[in-house]
This record gives sequence, structure tokens and C-alpha cells, in this order.
Amino acid sequence: MTTKRIVNHPVLGELDKQEKVTFQFDGNTYEGYENDTIASALLANGIRTLRKHEETGNPRGIYCNIGHCYECRVTVDGASNIRACLTPIKANMVVESGKVQPSPLDPSNEGELPKTYAEFKRREEQQKNAKK
Amino acid sequence: MQKNDVVIIGAGPAGLSAAIQCRENGLSVTVLDEFPKPGGRLLGQLHEEPSGEWWNGIKETNSLLEKAEKNNTTIKCGVSVHHVETLENHFVVHTNKGYFAADNVLIATGAAESAAPIPGWTLPGVMSIGAAQVMTNVHRVSVGEKGIVAGVNVLSAAITRELQLAGIDVVGMALPSRNIVSEDQANPREVMERMVRIAHLAPSKFIQFGSKFATFKFVQNLALQFFPKGGIKMWDMPIHLRKAIKEINGTDKVESVTMVDVTMDGDIIRGTEETISVDFVCIAGGLYPLAELAAVVGCPFQYSEELGGHVPIHSEAMETPIEGIFVAGNITGIESAKVAREQGTVAGLSIAKKVTGNKEIDSKLQDAITNVKATRNAATIQFHPRIDEGRAKISQAFNEIS
Amino acid sequence: MRDLIICRCEEVSLKDLEETAKKYNCSARELKLRTRAGMGFCGGRTCRPAVDKVLTHMTKEDPTNAIPLKVQPPVRPLSLTDLGGASNDD
Repeated sequence: MTTKRIVNHPVLGELDKQEKVTFQFDGNTYEGYENDTIASALLANGIRTLRKHEETGNPRGIYCNIGHCYECRVTVDGASNIRACLTPIKANMVVESGKVQPSPLDPSNEGELPKTYAEFKRREEQQKNAKK
Repeated sequence: MQKNDVVIIGAGPAGLSAAIQCRENGLSVTVLDEFPKPGGRLLGQLHEEPSGEWWNGIKETNSLLEKAEKNNTTIKCGVSVHHVETLENHFVVHTNKGYFAADNVLIATGAAESAAPIPGWTLPGVMSIGAAQVMTNVHRVSVGEKGIVAGVNVLSAAITRELQLAGIDVVGMALPSRNIVSEDQANPREVMERMVRIAHLAPSKFIQFGSKFATFKFVQNLALQFFPKGGIKMWDMPIHLRKAIKEINGTDKVESVTMVDVTMDGDIIRGTEETISVDFVCIAGGLYPLAELAAVVGCPFQYSEELGGHVPIHSEAMETPIEGIFVAGNITGIESAKVAREQGTVAGLSIAKKVTGNKEIDSKLQDAITNVKATRNAATIQFHPRIDEGRAKISQAFNEIS
Repeated sequence: MRDLIICRCEEVSLKDLEETAKKYNCSARELKLRTRAGMGFCGGRTCRPAVDKVLTHMTKEDPTNAIPLKVQPPVRPLSLTDLGGASNDD
């Protein structure tokens, strides 16, 4: 998708000159303007997907763009669930998209977990003995 | 924690106008808003009035901000309110940036968009029509190369025009396909009836002329029956009342929509599917008052279809039955920014009267209340034809409670 | 054709809502509890009118004045850090 900024507008006039800001999203570096929100800066760079649905993994991007729907929630400098549509970008900001979360009830996740307390105690003993 | 005379939640036209009045009367005021800039949804508005003048949301906001600044009004943006706690004789507003104590709280949180869900609407590239307005006029970023608008109503028509002005290719406007939720947006008859009320604003003389007759149901029916396959063009773009968007397609983002012909009642005519390539879709399902905080604080509600949904009960002076809680703007019912502005002025004066006890405010307050009605009557477009009925219902409900 | 999602946050479809409402003949509150519609991250802001409409349609009742789904604070998601005050300046 070739992206555009609306630089010249017949009524609103020409876009003011703004400072460029560099930030990261999922490990890649992007450029935006100082008055961009994370969402607008990413959209200007052709990025629409801001997270995957926690359960289904379906891609999501902005929906309301005014902080109501929380579809645009991203992790910013380690803080999670920050709304990309309301947060101005800052130099060197590190933004990460939301990923699918493992299901706590998914049987395939159980793996080698002990199923009884006795089993748990036995393993704890084993580990203690292995360390000696 | 310092206590304010009033905390105003929402820095839109209502909140800012109220703040101006309160400050002019010497009250201590803090205005809070979760958006990074003040102005609320007024900030993104841009349309041509019948007079030929442009209603420019940025200019109107700046005008309000200038007045607010003159009186050293404290406006904190990027602040999200999650609770309004009621203590014995004052309130504490809980936010992500701390607590704000106040004797009075004005809840001016505006409206939220009602969804008109279409299969595939969760794909990146599908956004509410309001989202497109903000991205275009506030952030000045293009929402996409080529898109379509689902939902034909006053708000979506105005914003679609804004997208075009910004040089964005909108291939047309169509109805969302019918389901339990989208019924009134998907029914050509209802949409036609509503659009007729704004047709006098259309630049095309043909549509203007036609709208004079179209208030008659039989003319509307004829118009629907013989609605051109290519839609009626407004601003060089087809508006379809006999086509609906059945599905939005794409794997990781919007790639196309499936359009389908519909009957005059909005039923799908099978075998008429057609795929249109787009990279964005705007959904327009209408607005409803965002009154969560009014509910939290215990305000009673009145349902009014005319006003957009559940409305916190309030008087003409913008007081609610909860002492110290006031409301103004779209939270009181969906109308224009101009009305919100006048309502804000009323609320501000109401609060000032309560805090100062100054009798001189009375006549100003009455004038402001009259101004709200005058502004409403002078409106060139109305989101709903029976606004006055809705307003009367709310006033009556307030009187019954007090 | 894809499912019609009504509650985006919890991915509850119209079919889920209809089948649950039919099976349990329930109130808005019960429908919310059974399907999680309206209980996701956005607090029902996006789907509340839609869920209300589905219920009005199923119960054939006119909307009442009282809000069908109770609104509880906090109306915005909070982190434990926020609650602990660690992120506040004062």
C-alpha cells in the first residue's frame, strides 16, 4: 500500500512543517512526525495490523481511533495495553504489537506438568537430589 | 489533594464552553480529556454550510481555546477517567494520572459510534466513519488508496465528503447488508426518508429539486423502485440505496468487499454478488451518548430513540437529579457541535450559579437556555427529525423526579 | 461466509448470541454472562448497542429506560501499577 500524508488540503491548507521522530515497531525502525499518534505514524508507513487477537490470533488494527474500542492496544516501552490511537510518538519509543496468548485450558499445553501432589513432591525430591 | 469547584470531563465544544463560563465567574476548574489534543470531535469536523462558508473544526476549537486560555483554564489532555467516586459532600475523579477532587462534576464525554457489523468487519482496514474523520482531518494521514463507506446517513455523508476533499478515492457509499443489528441502516426506505432531510444540502440541483417532493412517501417509494443501478451521484460518487455490502474480504487486511443488490426492503437478491477491490471500509452505524460515568455516579436514564439511545436525565439547565453532577453535549443526546457549545455555556453558568450564589447569573443562564433552542432550530441538518420530542421527554422525566 | 462477529473483543458471533438467547430464554445480563459479549476489554462500548438490539429482537420487548447492562467502575482498564500509584507524579 503506498501511503500518503495529506500535505495539501483545499480547505485546511498545507501541513505545517514538523519535526521527524524515529521509533521502533516490532523490531523495525520507522519515521513519523512529532504530532503523530503511534497509530497515525504506523498507518502513514503502511502498517495496519497492530495486534493479533489474544485467543484467535486474528489480525486487528484501529477501529474507532479515539480510545473507545481498545483494538489498537500495543506495548510501549514495556507498558502493555497502551492505546496506539491516543499516544503521541516519542523519539526512540519501542512499540510492540500484541501477540496470541497461550490458552490456560488448552490440553496440548499441559505437557509434562505433574497431575497429583504426590507426583509434584516426587519431582521436587528428584530435582533436589540431582543438584547435590 | 486540592479541591476544584468543578472538574469537567471532556474537552470538546461542550466541556470547553462550560469551562469558559466557570472561569469567567472565578471558579477553580480542571478540564480532563483522554485525547492528546483538546477539541473533542469538533476538532475533526469540516463541512460547507449552505451559506457557502466552511465550518472548520480546527478554527472553531482554537477560538474556544483562546477564550479558555485568556482565563488561565487548566486543561489536561491524555488523561483517562475511569471512575467518579461520590463521597459525603464532594466527588473524586479517578484517572490514570491521579485523583481530582471536586464539589461539582460536568460529564461532557460526548458520544460513541454504534456498530453496523458486517462479516469481515474485524479486518485491519475496516474502521468506524469517525475514525476516518480523525485520521484525515486531525492527523492528516490517508486512510487508504481506495475505499467504500457502509451506511448512508447524515454523518457518513458529511465525512465521506471530507475524505474526498482530502483527495482520497471513495468508490461509493452503500448500505450494510441486513441483519438483526443493522436493520435501520440496511433498510432502503428508512435510509431514503432520512437522506431526504439533508438532500437540500446536496450540490446537485437535481437532487435538491427532487427532495422538495420526496417528503411524500409515494415519491420516496417511486424513487426507491427506480433507483438507478449505478446509484445516484453526489459529488461525483455513487450513493447506492439498492446495493449492500454483504461481506468484507481479505486475509490479513481488507482486500475487497462483496456487494449485492437488495430489494426495497433491504432483502438480498441472490445471484447479484459482485466483488469490488478496496483497501479500506468505513462503517457508519450512527452515534449513541457515551454515558458510562453518568451511570457509575448513579444518574437515572431515559431511553429516547430520537436522542440516540439511553440519555442521562437532566434539566434545561443541564443539572442531573444527582446533586453536583451536570451533563452537556452529545451525552445529552446526539446533535451538532453548535448545540453542544451552547449547552456547555448553559452548564457552565448553572455550575457558576450554584457555586457563587450570584443572582446576576440568572438572566445570563436563561438567555443561554434560549440560545440552545435557537441554535437547534437554526440547524440546517438534523441527525433525527424528532429531536424536540426527545428533548421534551427528558425534561419531563427530570420534572417527574424532582 | 464468515461468522458475523458482534462482540469484537471476545469474538462472540450473532449465531452464538441467538443460540444462547434461545436456549436459555435469558435477560441481557445472563446473555452477557454466558457468552461474554460486552465483557471484553472495551467494556461493551463497541458492541453494547448491538447486543441490546439482539435482545430487543429476541424478547420482542421495547427498550426500557434502565440501561440493560450495568456499568461498573473502572470504565477504563487499569493496571496494578496504576492502582498502586507508581506511575503518578505526585
